[in-house]
Amino acid sequence: MKLTEFIRDRLIAYLIYTTIWALVLVFLFAFHVPVEAIIIASVLIMLGVIAAEMWAFLRKRRFYEKLMSDLSQLDKKYLLSEMLDEPEFLDGRILHNAICEADKSMCEHIAEYRRENKNFREYIELWVHEIKLPVAGLQLMCHNDGNTRYNEQLRRIDDYIENVLYYARSESAEKDYIIKPVSLKRVFSEVAVRNREELQAHGMNLKTSELDTDVMTDGKWLSFIIGQLMSNSLKYDATEIIVKGEDFPDRTVLHFRDNGIGIPESDLPFIFDKTFTGENGRTHKKSTGMGLYIVKKLCDRLGHTVEASSVQGEFTEISIIFGKNELYKIE
Amino acid sequence: MKRIMIIEDETSLRDELSLLLKNAGYEPIAVTDYNNVSEQMKAANVDLILLDINLPNVNGETLLQEYRRSSDTPVIMLTSRNTEIDEVLSMSYGADDFVTKPYNPTILFLRISAVLKRSASKGTAQMYHDAEVSTVKGSLIKNGTEQILTKNEMIIFQLLLDRIGEIVTRDELMTALWDNDEFVNDNALSVNISRLRGKLVELGYPDAIETRKKQGYVLK
Repeated sequence: MKLTEFIRDRLIAYLIYTTIWALVLVFLFAFHVPVEAIIIASVLIMLGVIAAEMWAFLRKRRFYEKLMSDLSQLDKKYLLSEMLDEPEFLDGRILHNAICEADKSMCEHIAEYRRENKNFREYIELWVHEIKLPVAGLQLMCHNDGNTRYNEQLRRIDDYIENVLYYARSESAEKDYIIKPVSLKRVFSEVAVRNREELQAHGMNLKTSELDTDVMTDGKWLSFIIGQLMSNSLKYDATEIIVKGEDFPDRTVLHFRDNGIGIPESDLPFIFDKTFTGENGRTHKKSTGMGLYIVKKLCDRLGHTVEASSVQGEFTEISIIFGKNELYKIE
Repeated sequence: MKRIMIIEDETSLRDELSLLLKNAGYEPIAVTDYNNVSEQMKAANVDLILLDINLPNVNGETLLQEYRRSSDTPVIMLTSRNTEIDEVLSMSYGADDFVTKPYNPTILFLRISAVLKRSASKGTAQMYHDAEVSTVKGSLIKNGTEQILTKNEMIIFQLLLDRIGEIVTRDELMTALWDNDEFVNDNALSVNISRLRGKLVELGYPDAIETRKKQGYVLK
């Protein structure tokens, strides 16, 4: 709040003062009051007005300057009301109360959404567990009847169910994972065995090296992530997947490389964006643009970094970087 | 015949699981009354228990914890609650394995036989006719002559030996290999089997592995 701004804001008041004083002067002259007395009275009144205005300006400035600087420093602007002291001047108090009330109402609103979101997510989790029972039942029935014709479709249903589950998990603010040492080898082979039939039907070659290492992550989430990468390799015509672990003092990197159709350079920066399908999505097979988005979200939540590099027609490589924090290790 | 107790409240799943186990040569015992599961578990004289986590009135993890105080019969948790937290909890309560629904039956069998074997063979050497099977050295020893098997050949031989006289499908062999990080293809499996045959011939077991067209292999 600048002085000039304050004066401009108060201009009408000054105009009224001046008009009234001009009228008073006319009267004083009419009654032949001595000029010296008029000057002294004018100066005194002027000083009084200036002093009163300065006082009003200064106390307002103190409040609003603090408000503005708090506002610019806060990364969550809605916390402003928590930072403000109640001012002693009337319009400041009105503003303060208004801000506090608006804030409270917003918090209630958010809490309501959070509750609804949580309920929805819990329902999704419940639903996923429920729908898995008939899928499991069907799978056993097929096996018992010696019919393998439906296996592929059942596996696809299960994959789509997992997608919904992990999408819900990735979007939720709740911590429902646990970080502990997980063997890369174990997770990878578990995913590979689960997808064995489809991988073999595509004539896929799997090559693994240096996976004898533990990373700090949630095993189930990682197995979903690797499953997603594998299903992308299958979708985009890869015939070979090379999985390699690389150990550094401060991190472990999992390289997942396939020789599929690759990703155009112009699409590469966007592949982790929600619903981005890009050129491959248009020209190739059905793509929802959700797979890699969920992968990225899950990695973010677990504190891993995920990177992609690719040369069209040659390879696609997704790298997941696991941090090594000594604090993580709770034995 | 190995007896396996099934604790699963979903009726159709329980029936199919029983049938599956029966067809695979196990004796399934299904729990149908969920009021005193804990007592039934203790009273049953079985070799393995398949235990669901979500049960009426009671939680599988609690049941397991209680059961472990009096028995060390192997328990495999079967669940659709696919979270690391459940797995860690189950394992810490003393489960021997954790399999999530829907499960591939071949993988389930693999897990069952692995758990049963772990609890049964406490250091006793396995024999194939008059040859000793050394999993540590990865070899077959007969009359002092040692025939080294590769890792793949050993996995195949083990599976055939565990079910000697029965048909083992290519699918099962393949799953077992993949489960041990050997991501081989169809051709490689055929090559491995013919090499294994050759080694068995050298040890004096001609025609040990019989091929059943479109079904699988039988070790005799």
